[in-house]
Amino acid sequence: MTFDKQIKRRDLLKTSAMLGIAGAAGSVAPSLLKAEPAKPKEIIVRAWGGPWVEALKAGVSDPFTTKTGIKVRHDLTEDNEIQPKVWAAVAQKRTPPIHINWDTTTNATKSALRGVCEDLSDLPNLKGTTDLAKPVGVDGYPIVNTYGYVYVLAYRPSAFPSGPPASYHDLLDPKFKGRLAFYNDGIGFHFPAQVAGGGKLDGIPNNMQPCWDFVSKIKTQEPLLGEDPDFVTWFQNGEIDAACTISTNALGAKRNGVDIAWTIPKEGAKFDTDGLWIPKGHSEGDLYWSREYINHALSKESQQIWLDGLGLPGVIPGLRPPPGLAGDPSYPTKPADFDRLIRISGKIQVENESEWFSKFKAIMQG
Amino acid sequence: MRRNLSCYPLTWHLMDILEAAFSKIWPKKGGFWGPYLMLSPAILLVGLLVLGLAYIGDTSLRTLDTSTFLFSEEWSLANYERALTEPFIRSVIWRSILGATIVTMTTLLLAFPYTYIMVRTRSAFLRKFLLIALFLPFFIGQVVRAYGWLIILGKQGIVNDILGLIGIEPLRMLFNYPSVLFGLVQYMFPFAVLMLAPALTAIPEEIEAAAESLGASWQETMLYVILPMAKSGLIGAGLVVLTLSLTDFAMPAILGGGTQDFVANAIYDQFFRTSDQGFGSSLAVLLIAIGSLLVWIIFMLVGAGTLALGAKDK
Repeated sequence: MTFDKQIKRRDLLKTSAMLGIAGAAGSVAPSLLKAEPAKPKEIIVRAWGGPWVEALKAGVSDPFTTKTGIKVRHDLTEDNEIQPKVWAAVAQKRTPPIHINWDTTTNATKSALRGVCEDLSDLPNLKGTTDLAKPVGVDGYPIVNTYGYVYVLAYRPSAFPSGPPASYHDLLDPKFKGRLAFYNDGIGFHFPAQVAGGGKLDGIPNNMQPCWDFVSKIKTQEPLLGEDPDFVTWFQNGEIDAACTISTNALGAKRNGVDIAWTIPKEGAKFDTDGLWIPKGHSEGDLYWSREYINHALSKESQQIWLDGLGLPGVIPGLRPPPGLAGDPSYPTKPADFDRLIRISGKIQVENESEWFSKFKAIMQG
Repeated sequence: MRRNLSCYPLTWHLMDILEAAFSKIWPKKGGFWGPYLMLSPAILLVGLLVLGLAYIGDTSLRTLDTSTFLFSEEWSLANYERALTEPFIRSVIWRSILGATIVTMTTLLLAFPYTYIMVRTRSAFLRKFLLIALFLPFFIGQVVRAYGWLIILGKQGIVNDILGLIGIEPLRMLFNYPSVLFGLVQYMFPFAVLMLAPALTAIPEEIEAAAESLGASWQETMLYVILPMAKSGLIGAGLVVLTLSLTDFAMPAILGGGTQDFVANAIYDQFFRTSDQGFGSSLAVLLIAIGSLLVWIIFMLVGAGTLALGAKDK
């Protein structure tokens, strides 16, 4: 018995040789199996300018270049203006003008429904993401959501001496006439207005009359209507006291020294996401490295730096909130934080937004 | 002694052949195709425009399926029906037509005396000053000029600062219809002056002197002599200002603050905000149709003015 248990020298040599071969094969095999396609000189990522692109550069693009040697060029064409160009390129089987589109999920959903997005469902880093990464209303992952944002009610504390506005109805006070601001198509305000008008969220999209009734009331306050940069300017110039805007704009104004705070009123606030997607029509090599870029954007390190710059909650668990934003209503992380946030499927939004925008403009320009 | 042809250099023969070939294509006396060849750049340009219009016309007849974001294979008039029945679009079309009309009248009213003084003044300094004041805005784009008005007329702007000195609370002078019209008049003014100047220059000063020598007052000379003689310039300037104002995008977008859209802004929204190029194209076709109709009515009523380039009006 003792003899049987002894390891024979020949067996030892055979086993060692086999292990050696297996080991060598093991170290070589992944690189053979995962043979990387040739690297493109650069990849082009469409992005928003200013602090948005700076944050992306610091958190994702520069580290990606360091890691792969591939330069990243940021194309600052507006997301809604690049869209028809990308659609036309895909339809005509030309190479699209960008490799990756950093886009609002709503806008990107249109491209997904049209079938121009590459499938991203097998990106390795998706396994470590929260449910937020999954776009609502489309199959699979034609888009990967990378963070969320809230359309908060931003206000000037000095204009609300008794505390933050608890409801959108507080803005109907005559003293705020001409001192409110909304997006010029009403985006971000439609859903809380539905609640403020006495309606229910499940009335969206079929019964939005309460929303339009409340928008009509707000119209009597003669609000200013604008786009993202306008809100910051108006707060800086002291032209407005309250605005329904993306928290990033309010945070940007605060970082510039503007006396501003934000809240989520009792009607709730729209929660939405932005994401990354790749248009169809790229070569195998370009597609591979574009996917690598998005995969890299989903790593914890990249998300931390990128979203510190934007002040927004990411899709990787355990990210450290930027200074001052822990527990902030614009930085939801726990399930309870989402209780007062309104999230409507991207599909419902894209199918109805044209009508919503027209209706809002008709009231405001009437 | 005459030399044999074969002793000339080869390059000379080559040039002779090329010259003969060229003269076949383009005879020295012009030939039948000469004028058409001269017209070819214009035909190419207009042809491309027509191609674009045909494409827009085709797209305008296709409706968007928002479940796939693809356009219908079949043609229909649904987009036009929507454009003509949707209250918001109707109000935008009406606002554009009214705005273009007011801007045209106001601009002509302001441009006429400016041009008259510029043409008639004997002071070289004043003429140069007026010319510089006219051309300087041309070096600044429309968008920059609109932002300039934001700085001047904004709540924290220069005008409100001055009003504040005499105790007047800041007024909101922007983001309304008058501010858009104001911006458009300021933008269109140089175009009108440049169209009017040749017409007024062509009126000899002696005619004014003759009218006055026959007992006409300065006002009568202006009303019965100069204005009728400047009619072609006024019509030409009016047509240019009307069509440019009707199709303007930047002034309503910037000075209207999202509350005073013109048709061009609605087209932009449909193309780029809601991705409905079919509906946007139908609005574009309607805008072209409205502009063409207005111009046709003016042509019928008062002729083409200087735009007729010397041809008989009507």
